[in-house]
Amino acid sequence: MADSTLQPTSAFSHLEPTSLPGIAIEPRENFTMASFAAGKGRLEALAAAIREAYGVELPRRPQRVVGNGIVFVWLGPDQWLAIAERTNNRDLEVELKQRVAGLASVVDQSDGRVIVRVSGPLAREVLAKGVPIDLHADTFGVNAVAITHASHIGVIMWQVDAAPTFELAMFRSYADSFAHWLLEAVASTVPAAA
Amino acid sequence: MRIACPYCGERSLDEYLYSGDATVRRPDFASPTAQADFVKYVYERKNSPGQHRELWYHAAGCHAWLVVTRDVSTHIITAVEPAKDVALGTASSMKDTA
Ligand SMILES: [Zn+2]
Repeated sequence: MADSTLQPTSAFSHLEPTSLPGIAIEPRENFTMASFAAGKGRLEALAAAIREAYGVELPRRPQRVVGNGIVFVWLGPDQWLAIAERTNNRDLEVELKQRVAGLASVVDQSDGRVIVRVSGPLAREVLAKGVPIDLHADTFGVNAVAITHASHIGVIMWQVDAAPTFELAMFRSYADSFAHWLLEAVASTVPAAA
Repeated sequence: MRIACPYCGERSLDEYLYSGDATVRRPDFASPTAQADFVKYVYERKNSPGQHRELWYHAAGCHAWLVVTRDVSTHIITAVEPAKDVALGTASSMKDTA
């Protein structure tokens, strides 16, 4: 029988995974993502439900935490993004709506936002060309999160590891504009890319 | 000018929207003096120099509403508090300078 599973189309029309000396860029595909906000007076109960389900504390500051098969990213006061691989058609909106029923409002973001992964020793220098916050490792380290803008495009960004690897999430319709800026920033930083 | 968001840290002005005087309270529209009260609420400002309490919205950041205590003559900011805490009376003044 033919596999009838629907596959999402990439929002990036011309951003291929790219590896250059000092920097690698890759659109992250095939993830499931949902945002959720604590209901009034439900913050502690929500934190307990997440701890129970995923073995991790929801961050109360701009931080990212890794739970069992899931990543939580701070998204403002009492709000978070949950991200996981879309393995076996996993759907975080459905999953979270069951696990935090009555405690939080859950909204699917899987097709609404895209994620770009930028990594390597030159990643900070490239991103600093469009991001107006201090990305120095002493200020923005592993698991740090910032909601800000990159080349005037609203982004949620976080650091994954010390490579360093960053991920930037933005609204899907900005994907190509962001990719255009990113490739220009890379070309003006990495001689081999020009 | 830079504003230190209590949640995000210090960010440039271009991430924020100014949203008016934080000291006025929306009048009761059912009051017999509602029309005069609303004129006062919307339009009447002393425009005095010195310290003001202002509402700012962290639009390109965490989307929090903030009450910023700012000297409009010097731009020196002496406190930034979540508007929610101010409204609920639970704010602990967060000191900062511009
Ligand atoms: Zn903020």
